[in-house]
Amino acid sequence: MTYFADKSALVADIFSRYPDSPQGRRSALMPLLREVQDAEGFVSEARMAEIAVLIGTTATEVRSVMSFYSTYHTVPTGKYHLQVCSTLMCALAGSDELWDHLVETLDVQPGEVSPDGRFSVQKVECLGSCGTAPMLQINDDGYYENVGPGKCARILADLRADRQPLPDNPVPVTVTAEGRQVMANGQTVGTSLTGLGGGTV
Amino acid sequence: MKVTVDGHELDLPAGTSAIDAVFGAGGDVPYFCAHPYLSPVGACRMCLVESGSPRKNPDGSFVMEGEGDAAKPKIFWFPKPMASCTMQATEGMHIRTAKTSEVVAKAQAGMMEFTLLNHPLDCPTCDKGGACELQDRAFEYGYGASRFGFDRRHADKHYPLSDFVILDQERCIHCKRCVRYFEEVPGQEVLDFIERGGHTFIDTEEGGLPLGFQGNITDICPVGALLDNVARFRGRNWEYDHTPTTCTLCSVGCSITADARNGRLERVVARENRDVNEAWICDAGRFGHPFASEERLTTPLIRNEDGQLVPATWDEAITAINRGLAGLSLADLGLFTGSEATLEEGAALEALADVLQTRHVDHSPRQAVDIAPTATLTDVAQADFVAVIGADLGEEAPVLELRILEMLRGGLLPPEFAHGTAIADLRLVERPARQPERLAVIGAESRLWEHAGHRISANGRDALARLTRPDTDALKAVGEALTKAERPVLVLGADALNGASGSFAATLSDLAGRTGAKVMAIPAGPNSRGLSALNLVPRAGGLGLDRLSEVPAAFISRLNPGLRARGFTVVHDTHLTATAQLADVVLPAVTNYEKRGTTVNLEGRLLPLNPAAIQAGEAADLIRTLTALAEALGVKAPVRGLRGAQTLLASRLGLKLDSLPAGGVIHRLPRAHTAPAQPHTPRLWTERMVRRDQDWVDRIADLTQGGWTLPVAPTAPQPGGDD
Repeated sequence: MTYFADKSALVADIFSRYPDSPQGRRSALMPLLREVQDAEGFVSEARMAEIAVLIGTTATEVRSVMSFYSTYHTVPTGKYHLQVCSTLMCALAGSDELWDHLVETLDVQPGEVSPDGRFSVQKVECLGSCGTAPMLQINDDGYYENVGPGKCARILADLRADRQPLPDNPVPVTVTAEGRQVMANGQTVGTSLTGLGGGTV
Repeated sequence: MKVTVDGHELDLPAGTSAIDAVFGAGGDVPYFCAHPYLSPVGACRMCLVESGSPRKNPDGSFVMEGEGDAAKPKIFWFPKPMASCTMQATEGMHIRTAKTSEVVAKAQAGMMEFTLLNHPLDCPTCDKGGACELQDRAFEYGYGASRFGFDRRHADKHYPLSDFVILDQERCIHCKRCVRYFEEVPGQEVLDFIERGGHTFIDTEEGGLPLGFQGNITDICPVGALLDNVARFRGRNWEYDHTPTTCTLCSVGCSITADARNGRLERVVARENRDVNEAWICDAGRFGHPFASEERLTTPLIRNEDGQLVPATWDEAITAINRGLAGLSLADLGLFTGSEATLEEGAALEALADVLQTRHVDHSPRQAVDIAPTATLTDVAQADFVAVIGADLGEEAPVLELRILEMLRGGLLPPEFAHGTAIADLRLVERPARQPERLAVIGAESRLWEHAGHRISANGRDALARLTRPDTDALKAVGEALTKAERPVLVLGADALNGASGSFAATLSDLAGRTGAKVMAIPAGPNSRGLSALNLVPRAGGLGLDRLSEVPAAFISRLNPGLRARGFTVVHDTHLTATAQLADVVLPAVTNYEKRGTTVNLEGRLLPLNPAAIQAGEAADLIRTLTALAEALGVKAPVRGLRGAQTLLASRLGLKLDSLPAGGVIHRLPRAHTAPAQPHTPRLWTERMVRRDQDWVDRIADLTQGGWTLPVAPTAPQPGGDD
């Protein structure tokens, strides 16, 4: 069964975002990959070949493009894909310990899925949240920041019960009309653009 | 355009790349990723040069340097060395190479150190040793030492991309030549970089490389990452006897180098010929050669009283022929040859047939009509519309297919300089835009279909007739495109030419005349075009090869119809074929890799053959064999050697064949002789050329179990020694 066989409207919508030319069709590669990955958690070789036929290229090129990004997976991922930032700031703040703890308690290695199908882990490069290191991203839902031993245990306990806690910083970050970022709990962060200089703009 | 390289000023055409400017000035720049027939991308960062240009003031005058008469435009140098393969030389540009610039020398040495950072030093075992550009350039431009003491990256070694190409991912330096080759030349994007970043490697997701033109990547790989599996571990570059010659498996006549070692043909690589194959050859030509050194006939065989073929000397064979043909009228002896025979051999055969006054003369395969070519391969590449009618180019003339694909991407031929083909032609781009509407394929489905804008399924036999009187909209569209095109070319294959009747040539010349199209008809055999210029067809009342079993007695050279003549049969062949097993006397023949002579390709280009050093025992070419046959018949052979044949041909063709240029020369051959012929199905890979994997497994088993013997020449008494 092919994935896109019964989704012609979706495929047409994706293609409509690009010029109607052979090169334009090729540009639709990334949203198609994203579509498959969101639905199945990873992109299998069969799906690569299917996308290649759709956009008029070869499976080799599809794999070449998708292997450039660590955010596409060629192996199945768990229901909760835990991504640990391992770049310098997080490493200094203890991401190695966090990683070791996750690998030991969940009993998974990169590329594996825990026996209950819930967890998979991955080390990723800088997620740009150095001020709140060490940090963790679950799927593409958002950032869990300052993840110390206690917070990690609480998150894992909630995930085991399939109650995913709200991220500290949702992705994409919501920005209010006045240009303020808002955390998941409604607290505004940062400085308002319009509020610069004490509101005397 | 004036460009100054290392202080020498030279005049170059506009559009020249900086790397060609340096080579044009007689200088040298190391490079790995640039290739004359591929787009320049600047991937290897090795061809660094310093460059600078004059700059103009707002009023249009040059910014000057110096006082009074000594003033000259000031050169503004780029702050860093630049990759010369992707940089266009411009008016007044100054270029400094490593010869005059320490900055460049240091940058190149540093880049070399960086490239060697992860390249394994496999040189003692790598098959590219002696032909490795990285090795040579590291010697010429490197520091000779590395500051990186840590372990190298490790990846898959001996990773088979296909039966014929082995990849060593560790050795790859990411020059991207193979990736670009597959994208740009055969239009099959089957290779690409995977896992971009520190662990990039080359791989395919298609489960292997497509057979057809995959072998060319082993030629262009600048290191030992992609190796020809047929030639792997068979010899080192300096051990081979390199023979520049012409491939005669099909009628394209690609320039090749035949590499022999210890008397065995071990490797065939492509040789550049801008007019014919550019720098590419097909897989059959590259990988199909082992038959030339396997199970060869090395002595004559004669049939003894028990009916067995037993080895004999040439003298015994001549005696046997003499006895077997005793009492036969010489005019009843049929003379037949295969179409890969050289022009000289054909002339010798014709001369002997004239002396014997035999009517049963033929060469095979051949076509019943002869369509003189008016298009060259360069014309095909530069056409603006090509119609391929009734041809499967993959079987008939694979490299013609590459020239058609070249036409689809604009027919850009890299310019030629005194130092050869432009190393970086800046007009060539990655992922070139193709114009499939310029190609029509009419006939059975073939590999070319997926590139064609007009695909018309038709019976090849009446395809041409239907094109002249189009009965469908698709055919009408092709007819209109042909008329509109300024430089159209018609390519005719076996399906169209097989059943050709007398009106075929008239229909064709009418269509060509009406549309202004040039014509390229693919001959049935590698040298059919040359041999049909000689009178090697059944003469009045004679029997052709298709009626071999009715001929009273026959001499059959390098043909395998699986039949014998009614009476005494002599077979001259390289291997003990089915026909040879039926013969009374078998004479050993040489392959075309071992011949000196001339072959004529599908454009009518005369190309030279040179003999490679292959051990073939007492095998002889057709000229010498015919001399022996004449001796057995008791007549004086009219042509007894190559020079005699060339003298004879020189008077007929008005061309000296002993001094042909290496790239061949197009020459108008005299009127062709034709006669009714049997339809034939072109097959490029003959049974003998396909490598039998069982042998391969056996050989490896031998190697591992220590039972392997060195392939040395058998000890035979050397004639005329001092002792």
